[in-house]
Amino acid sequence: MSAKIAVPIFPGTNSEEETVALLRDCGGDAELVHWSQAETLGRYDAYVLSGGFAYEDRIRAGAIAAHDRIMDFVIEGAQNGKLVFGVCNGAQIVLEAGLVPGTGAVRRPTAAFTRNAPEPHFVCRHVHLKLAVDPARSAITAALPKEALVPAWAANGEGRLAATPEHLQEIVDGGHLAFVYANAEGVASQNASPNGSALNCGGLVNREGNVLAIMPHPERDAWNFNHLDRREGKDVLAPSGGALLFKSFVTAVKS
Amino acid sequence: MVNQAAANVALRKDELERIARRLGREPSVVELHAFDAQWSEHCSYKSSRHHLKKLPTSGPDVILGPAEDSGILYLGEHDGERYGVVIAHESHNHPSQVVPFEGAATGIGGIVRDVLCMGAEVVAVADPLRFGRIEDPDSHQRSVAVGAVDGISAYGNAIGVPNLAGDVYFDESFDDNCLVNVVALGIVKESEIIHSYAPRTADGWDIVLVGKATDASGFGGASFSSLTLDAEDEEANKGAVQVPDPFLKNVLMRASYRAFEYLRRHGIEAGFKDLGAGGVMGCSAEIVSSGGFGADINLDEVNVAIDGMPPEVIAVGETQERLLWVLPPHVTPEILRIYNDEFTLPQIAYNARASIVGRVTKEKKYVLRHRGQIVMDVDIEFLTGSIRDELPFTELRTHELRDESIVYPELSTHEIVELLPRVLAHRAVCSREPLYRRYDAVVRGLTVIPRGAGEAGVFAAVRGGRLGVALAVAGNPRYGIHDPQRAAELAVIEAACKVYATGARPIGLTDCLNFGNPRKVEQYSEFVGAIDGLGRAARELGLAFVSGNVSLYNESTTGVAVAASPIVACVGAIDDLAATVTPGFKRAGNAIFIVGNVSPGLGGTVFAELLGNDDDNIPMVEYSQLRADLDLLGTAMREGIVRSCTPVGAGGTLAAIARAAFAARDAGRSLGVELDGDVSFDETPGFVVEVEDEKRFLKLAGDATVRRVGTISKAAHFVVKDESMHVEDLYEVWFAPLAEVYR
Repeated sequence: MSAKIAVPIFPGTNSEEETVALLRDCGGDAELVHWSQAETLGRYDAYVLSGGFAYEDRIRAGAIAAHDRIMDFVIEGAQNGKLVFGVCNGAQIVLEAGLVPGTGAVRRPTAAFTRNAPEPHFVCRHVHLKLAVDPARSAITAALPKEALVPAWAANGEGRLAATPEHLQEIVDGGHLAFVYANAEGVASQNASPNGSALNCGGLVNREGNVLAIMPHPERDAWNFNHLDRREGKDVLAPSGGALLFKSFVTAVKS
Repeated sequence: MVNQAAANVALRKDELERIARRLGREPSVVELHAFDAQWSEHCSYKSSRHHLKKLPTSGPDVILGPAEDSGILYLGEHDGERYGVVIAHESHNHPSQVVPFEGAATGIGGIVRDVLCMGAEVVAVADPLRFGRIEDPDSHQRSVAVGAVDGISAYGNAIGVPNLAGDVYFDESFDDNCLVNVVALGIVKESEIIHSYAPRTADGWDIVLVGKATDASGFGGASFSSLTLDAEDEEANKGAVQVPDPFLKNVLMRASYRAFEYLRRHGIEAGFKDLGAGGVMGCSAEIVSSGGFGADINLDEVNVAIDGMPPEVIAVGETQERLLWVLPPHVTPEILRIYNDEFTLPQIAYNARASIVGRVTKEKKYVLRHRGQIVMDVDIEFLTGSIRDELPFTELRTHELRDESIVYPELSTHEIVELLPRVLAHRAVCSREPLYRRYDAVVRGLTVIPRGAGEAGVFAAVRGGRLGVALAVAGNPRYGIHDPQRAAELAVIEAACKVYATGARPIGLTDCLNFGNPRKVEQYSEFVGAIDGLGRAARELGLAFVSGNVSLYNESTTGVAVAASPIVACVGAIDDLAATVTPGFKRAGNAIFIVGNVSPGLGGTVFAELLGNDDDNIPMVEYSQLRADLDLLGTAMREGIVRSCTPVGAGGTLAAIARAAFAARDAGRSLGVELDGDVSFDETPGFVVEVEDEKRFLKLAGDATVRRVGTISKAAHFVVKDESMHVEDLYEVWFAPLAEVYR
């Protein structure tokens, strides 16, 4: 019954602690798995790839990490139906590994999260992700309400989705556009995007719905103390806000 | 050879003679460079230490004063454990002026190691910046202002440490000498502090060097930062700047956390220290000598990036991302395994690793070996002991609070409204968001008030706990130009007020003293006067300085010194995060009060500049009055009737009111103000306070200075008596100026 979640650490990962903490606060049985322990990854039931700068973002964010030993296990797991959730650098790695949108071959990505525009550098900005598919489209979003709004922080230099018009059309047609950027009222628009992402894309899902990749970080706006003015209930240590999506993920892992 | 080397070091003739006399012979080339680094102002504080002694450095909140790489303040208890905040504050001014990106990045890299080596987890950084005139997009000043910010961003973001506080000013006195100050904070249990000295029983222990392969970068860095910059030496100066590798640092930090865990689990005492100025030599000499030992080091064991480097470069080069352990030999293999095998350092960067380079000796000598030869052999206390330069200075003319300031015209409401957009667009006042948006303010997921949302950042200190920490910096150079001593007092007051405004209790300070050439009486006098100012304000507020740094020689070859820049950081403690007062107006109908006196001085204010009528009578507080005001604020915050609190700064009370409206806007609350009381651009430290229960607030007021100036309104209008503006229009004026620079 106790499904185990691995949060693998690549050289350069930097968001592993809060990711594990939030998964645990949402009821998940999560642990860190260091790159020197990669061989143990097969034992886990689900994977969360967290933020950072794995392998220094060399070539393009996620490009090297996608070929790391860690990803052999994550790719195999995804192919066997295990849940894979990538956040920020984790999303870039999942995309470079070809797991989302998943319209090409493994490690042959059909799109990229690349240099932001018009500000061509790292941008740290509070945003909202709006669920753009039916919640049941992915096991990971299944426990979210329709058009759920997830508060999060964009904090990246390469978060802009780019692909050829044909591949963008595949993303739309295949229902891979899982999340778009919206304002606090839930109105989706490029104005709400921190980086000029194609399709206003903030997150992608694969065909089977077991792999989800999102660029902004819900886990940085996920406890009441992160947003005291928007707190839900009295306990400042309670998960809330961005925790919504992590709770849905943990629910899916457990079922 | 030695004579040639002597010509390339910054040691003065009298210092060279002193060394030769003590050694009873001419120093070797390696020794020359070692003394050059160790006796530089940067390492020895030779012309500043005796003045710095005047600062208060102890108190009930001090766990560790300024003796090691960082100071430590007592934060509070969580789960039966006493927690400390580790803090260090440094400058990387000269390197950032020459090579802005690398110079500023390695500033962050260095300060982070100072905190890490105390056994702490590094949890926040801050960056007080001072740049020159940036109007010309093709100017060097502009590239410094943008490049330094990018360097800080690239480094801090990659290692996963949020940037939670900072400020920036632009002034012509920084054209040739930018100031890039950096502050880092860490959290450590009091029982788990690691010291940067060899423990009592360290005789015969291993000296283990960890990190990047030593290369030729940063050779001569310590003495370079202790000279004035000469544009003609630019190429040589560039070589004195280190090369940053935040990727390696990310791994090095995490590997060190693992090493801490191992040592704690086994109850093993060790020494740990950052390699900064003076490289392997400076770090190893200081860590053993402060434990009362000597050292014997084999330079052939140092992992190098290039073969055949001369021994003096290996010994004193300041390659980044290196740390040094003093370990009991039986634990060395496990620590080497953690770095080299578990965290695979050799695969992270070329020839990076942990290795034994020498041992601690009982005999108080410092010996360096290279290829079977002894290349350095000196009395360690002579090398690291305090040296002192008595330089002449004059007592500064201190300005007493004066009433007879320049006559400042009573402005009509219309004139105020006309002036407000100009004040908000002024470079000292306008939004800093385009700059700090490049910094990750939320990594670690513990941020409560991110960078820029208010005047201080706040974060949760311990995952799963209620303790919080507030951090703010201050030091307005516009005051420093006029009156270094009072500017120093104001820096302390302003930093503390920013912390108070979050509901935190200030627990301690750090300072970085950025001044000109100490060998010029008028510039050195500014430095000495500023220390008096810092000490006075700290004593009046009951705070101690636990760490700090001195950066002198910020003078260009044309003799222009930077504006006197005593820059202060203040740390505050929050017992329960729920009590944090968040930035920005909260609710229509709440009353707006100004807490704080209006001083007659307007010197250095934006208002005085815009009126073209500046003088040296800068704003000041009465300390007894300030304490009464702070008491009121504290009580009202504890009672929960303060809904927001904005400290007054550059641009004065009106700019502070506007900032509170802008912060509400940024948080998604569209609110305005209706001001019917007297408001101005006066910059005397104080607060704009939003109060829900006015009657109660006035009842609590006692001896505090309290004025009700208006009400928060539902419509997003900025109304001053019978004149009205749109908050959104003012916001755009305020946001635009730096958005053009930081695109």
